[in-house]
Amino acid sequence: MTAQTQNLVGALRTGGLRGARSSGALGRALRTGGVQLLCIAVSAGFFALPIVYLTVQAFKPYIGFLQDPTGLPHPWTFANFTSAWTQGDFAREMINSLVYAVIPDVITLILGVFLAFPIARGYFKHSNALYAFFVFSGFLPGSLIPLFIEAQRLGLYNSRLGFLVITSLAGAGFFFFVGYIKTIPRELDEAAALDGCGYFRFIFTMIIPQMKPALATFGIFGFVASWNSLILPLVMLSDPSLWPVTRGLFSFFGQFQSQWPLVAAGTVIVAVPIIVVFVLLQRYLIEGVAGGATAGTQGVGQGRGAVAEAAEGE
Amino acid sequence: MNQCPFGTGRTRRWIPWASIAVPTIGWLVFGLYPSLATIYYSFTQYSGLPGTPLDFCGLCNYRNAFQGSYSDFSAAIETTVKYAGGVAVLQIGLGLGLALLLKNRRRGFGLYRALIFMPQIFSVTVVGILFSMILDPQAGPAEKGWTAVLGSANSFLGSSTWALPLCILINVWMFTGYTMLVYIAGLRRIPQDVYEAASLDGAGRWRTFRSITWPLLAPATTVNVFLTVVGCLGEYALILVLTDGQFGTQTIGFYMFNAAFGQNPSLGYGSMLAMAQFALTLMLGGGLLWGLRRREVAL
Repeated sequence: MTAQTQNLVGALRTGGLRGARSSGALGRALRTGGVQLLCIAVSAGFFALPIVYLTVQAFKPYIGFLQDPTGLPHPWTFANFTSAWTQGDFAREMINSLVYAVIPDVITLILGVFLAFPIARGYFKHSNALYAFFVFSGFLPGSLIPLFIEAQRLGLYNSRLGFLVITSLAGAGFFFFVGYIKTIPRELDEAAALDGCGYFRFIFTMIIPQMKPALATFGIFGFVASWNSLILPLVMLSDPSLWPVTRGLFSFFGQFQSQWPLVAAGTVIVAVPIIVVFVLLQRYLIEGVAGGATAGTQGVGQGRGAVAEAAEGE
Repeated sequence: MNQCPFGTGRTRRWIPWASIAVPTIGWLVFGLYPSLATIYYSFTQYSGLPGTPLDFCGLCNYRNAFQGSYSDFSAAIETTVKYAGGVAVLQIGLGLGLALLLKNRRRGFGLYRALIFMPQIFSVTVVGILFSMILDPQAGPAEKGWTAVLGSANSFLGSSTWALPLCILINVWMFTGYTMLVYIAGLRRIPQDVYEAASLDGAGRWRTFRSITWPLLAPATTVNVFLTVVGCLGEYALILVLTDGQFGTQTIGFYMFNAAFGQNPSLGYGSMLAMAQFALTLMLGGGLLWGLRRREVAL
């Protein structure tokens, strides 16, 4: 039998089989129904159920929890939220978190553009070498311990301003906008310069508006990462009045360990803002990751790298 | 080098430098310097407490890791490798399975993908507390289910047998969505006519997967394996919340954190552990990347 006839026979065979398998609309409907059911079971049952369980437990009175720790609340109460809110000092921590998340995020984005623009354009000597150096520096030993020592020596330890300085500047090294800026034609620079537009004005009025998608993706990821960060506040901030919500919740958990409804309420309080961000902006988050794979493993040092490349590729 | 068109005469020269000055200095001071200083501090003895001296002691911390504290050190390395390996295998398998299931643009699928992706937007504090609650040995639903089915008790995160596998599973729960999305992006880039040709050639489902999907997904697999393994080799925040590094869950990252900021802080020994983690990441991450790249070419 030649290869060709083999192929032909094969084609006939699968054709026949397929015909037999999906005979009738009923079979097809059953199969799609089955797939849908499986998807719902996995996504809802495995991935979402734990979060739902936690949320439900947060509405349970403590007495009810002692009697039946795993069942539904009876009656449903809002008391855990109010007492967690005051006992955990979440109001102040929310404000701290917001400050720690927004200010460094904005500064990092702007500094990132200022760094990336001349590199992308090659407007100074050895810009390629600098670019390579930034890429390479992603693969160096962890810096947490010396950062802690440095913060103590520079008076940035246990201070709100110090924490903002560190988080705003440590991330300034990211170079991922370079690729994105390269897609903005250089003739634009020259035309603007001829018209007498200054450098910084050009960046703010021309480049930054053009980079909206990249900045949005980055800004969202940066915000979520800062809001969620536990280790840096744990190391850098000892005064509870400076703590962000994640740090506060960690202590709250240690303090009320076995009062699960109360702890659950605190956890929900901390998670809600992020859920809101996710629901409103999940398209950006998901596209960011999905697009990130396009660029392959080039320069994917950390999760952020992949996301950045997503922004470039989009 | 291109001439910067902005400014006039002399300002033309320094404008680009002014532009990169602040971010570059910030990165040098808070990014590059601390990273490199880890090397120096790994040769010192320093508690970090105010008023205590910093002594240069050569290889003392490295010697300590292989002599006095060898059992802790080797256990941490072993735990880290198990953790990274366990997460990688499960997360790649589950992520790929879900990607194959949910790759199409169909009704409801966007929601399913979003739900699967969702866990990783939460803080490790939130995820850690969530699973501490579910796995609570007295009041958690896991305990109830376990006792009902097997009739015996289990202390879950407080058991040396179960703590590490559970941490692995929780990590998988948190990050499978990412792996899945990378695979979906990879699957969508495979041209449809390859599949048409395969079905004309009479390839069955398994055969199509083996000879077409899997090889053409090689770049996505490279990204996923590399990111997962490198991420896990440095993991300790989740473990801090879940088990505080006890019951056989002390990874090298956690060991570092605990040595530096725990009960008897030793920043020198901690820096040495950061170096060890770096070496491990370089060896395993670099080795994997090299191997996976070769595999991409071979397939």
